[in-house]
Amino acid sequence: MLEIQNLSRSFGAIKAVNKVSFSVSGGEIVGFLGPNGAGKTTTMRMMVGWLQPDEGAISLGGKSIFADPLAASARIGYLPENNPLYGEMAVGEFLRYFGELRRMNPAFLDERLEFVRAACGLDGVWKQRISTLSKGYRQRTGLAQAILHDPEVLILDEPTGGLDPNQIIEIRELIRQLGKEKTVLLSSHIMQEVQALCSRVIIINKGRIIVDDSIENLGAHISGLNRVIIELEAQEPDFSLWLEQKEGVSLESVEQSGAIHRFRFLSPPEQDIRRELTAFVLEKGWQLVSIYQEKQSLESIFHELTSQEAAEEAQEQIPFESDGVQKLVAELHPIDGDLTCPESDPGLPNNNNNKDEQ
Amino acid sequence: MNPALTIAKKEYSLSLRSFGTYIIFGVFLLASGVWFALTALKLQVADLRDIFSKMQILFLFFIPALTMGSIARERANGTLELVSTLPLKLSHIVWGKFLSVWLQVATVLVYTLVFPVLVAVFGVGMDLGAVFTGYLGLLCSAAALVGIGIFASSLTDNQVIGFITALAISGFLFLLGHLGDLIPLRLFSVIEYLGFDYHLNSFVKGVIDTRDLLWFAAVSFIFVLLAQLRLQAENLRQEK
Repeated sequence: MLEIQNLSRSFGAIKAVNKVSFSVSGGEIVGFLGPNGAGKTTTMRMMVGWLQPDEGAISLGGKSIFADPLAASARIGYLPENNPLYGEMAVGEFLRYFGELRRMNPAFLDERLEFVRAACGLDGVWKQRISTLSKGYRQRTGLAQAILHDPEVLILDEPTGGLDPNQIIEIRELIRQLGKEKTVLLSSHIMQEVQALCSRVIIINKGRIIVDDSIENLGAHISGLNRVIIELEAQEPDFSLWLEQKEGVSLESVEQSGAIHRFRFLSPPEQDIRRELTAFVLEKGWQLVSIYQEKQSLESIFHELTSQEAAEEAQEQIPFESDGVQKLVAELHPIDGDLTCPESDPGLPNNNNNKDEQ
Repeated sequence: MNPALTIAKKEYSLSLRSFGTYIIFGVFLLASGVWFALTALKLQVADLRDIFSKMQILFLFFIPALTMGSIARERANGTLELVSTLPLKLSHIVWGKFLSVWLQVATVLVYTLVFPVLVAVFGVGMDLGAVFTGYLGLLCSAAALVGIGIFASSLTDNQVIGFITALAISGFLFLLGHLGDLIPLRLFSVIEYLGFDYHLNSFVKGVIDTRDLLWFAAVSFIFVLLAQLRLQAENLRQEK
């Protein structure tokens, strides 16, 4: 459906997007994930024709979007980052205006206006001025604008940026519905979002794609260890005997809160130690409270992958510039913010697009 | 409907909903009213020529005030990105904006019709033809100034800069006819031809010269085209 080949774009000396290639097929929701400034917005802007690529090809249904830009943009729905809207207009008036600008057939436009009014939950604010809307309703209006002409491809740049958790759930549900029929590419720097919505994830960092795979296969990209956490009540429990028999398994940490002891074990990914561990605990007559295996979350994968890249580059830089590492760490710091409060997306500094925020 | 007309319609109706537009309209009407009163009432001259040329000068400030936000504000808000990614041509956008502002100027000019009416009622004899050509001249120079203003607005995302740039360009073109003493006589005839005054003179005298109409059309067209090229260039080398 949508194919990107060797796309590059620089801003001065900075290579914002560097030989990016991927494709998105119909009925698929693909997450475009990366820290701020990774090149997500730049790539999307090139896909909708707002930015010209320095090199590379973008094709939609086999045809280059540059061959007939007007026909291509008629097939694409776009929600730009920060969702710009005409604040002076009422919601319904704004959407009708965009339908007219797209030269939609009047009967079809009326039909679609009714559809987005219901689908995006805009009924209550239809005649309200956009500048008086809450952020959630603004976002819905932006989304309504993007789907108004029933496009085959939806490109959504941070569709849930700045929303509260309830609004995020609503918007996600809407996108999920849309993804059943349409090709959706959405960008995010929030891991959970991609995990919740997308079947596939493309991770981009410093203008380059570092992973392009289904959510399930992501774990294969890193050589992490499984972590098993066991909580139990006992007098001075000791696993050293059991650990001696186990090749490759190690004890990561022990904590005690009240009567409960919490042990963290690390094991090779192909080995599931939970059964043997449970058997050992029962054999010793200790009270088992809980045992579970921690799955590698997308965010830890993301963190590991993006910081791997950073570390590699930092090493390259060290001979020339000793504070290179610190700079890179500082640059990646916004991701740490996401790890602690991912849902609320606090107004993180957005290196990607300072201009729009003025 | 042609997208340029859709844009013009929306921009025009939004402008009439904006308080700012009425302030700009009000200041223009007040200033031209005061001028009219000073000449027609105080000097007892029932002649509209003077007020037409004064309105030309007011246009130098009035029109940039109307055009300054047309593209600059959309760029600052990010809506330019939204509109540019619609299946539209950039020419639709700039001409739509041009039409909208031109229509706003025409709307204000309707209110100034009270001047010729007053002269007709209280004055002695009025050349209706000269009034007509006078207004035609105003509409023509308005078109050229709107074109310049749209171009100036397309250069920046700051409305103030849009205003000052438009004022500078149109002020320069306006003053070209008044540089008589500063430049050699042989050069002056060329320079004068590029100025606004030269082309407005015949309108004020009650004569319509096709060459003047074409000159104003050409100036409008060139500057709107420059605005369009500016938007095109932006796609190629947009700064981060």
